[in-house]
Amino acid sequence: MLRPYEAVYIFDAGLEDAAINERLGRFHALLGNPADLKVDHWGRRQLAYQIGRKEQGYYVVARYNAEGKVLPEYERALRLEDGLIRYLLTLHDRDLGAPEMTEEQLAAANAKREEDDDDEE
Amino acid sequence: MATMMRRQTRSCPFCETRVHFIDYKDDRTLGRFISDHGKILPSRLSGTCARHQRQLATAVKRARFLALLPYVRGLQG
Repeated sequence: MLRPYEAVYIFDAGLEDAAINERLGRFHALLGNPADLKVDHWGRRQLAYQIGRKEQGYYVVARYNAEGKVLPEYERALRLEDGLIRYLLTLHDRDLGAPEMTEEQLAAANAKREEDDDDEE
Repeated sequence: MATMMRRQTRSCPFCETRVHFIDYKDDRTLGRFISDHGKILPSRLSGTCARHQRQLATAVKRARFLALLPYVRGLQG
């Protein structure tokens, strides 16, 4: 079963752009080069805290649909990659969020919260 | 004293703006829901509803892992 995944890679900011693209190509080849692959390069940015001795990282966000069974080999390659400071792989399940609320439902929910707050005192 | 202790009723900022999914990559938005030391604000201060507070906590933790948000800040050492 294909499932939507989102991967955020943080590469060593010292790497050349070509080297980063080469690594991305290698990673995505392990997934079988998904047809719906979307890659978003954020570029170099400051890390909120030092990782190792590094202050900066090159962020890349990739979104694709893949079979779960190809992931272990792919993640193994990610962990072995020296130029990759850190990565995060998540299911891109945006539909699991809060359901849409109409104006009336929102007002009712707020009214209920106020009521509950009063009860606590 | 009782009036001072009374909790201000606030509506959920995510419900109001119709946010369906709290994105862990949006460090600007998440930054509004962490304290000066980097801790996640409790819903009683931010007014976030339970469902969004759960999403927010996961999002902040993911953002911290990705070094988009600090684990701690404003402390020496």
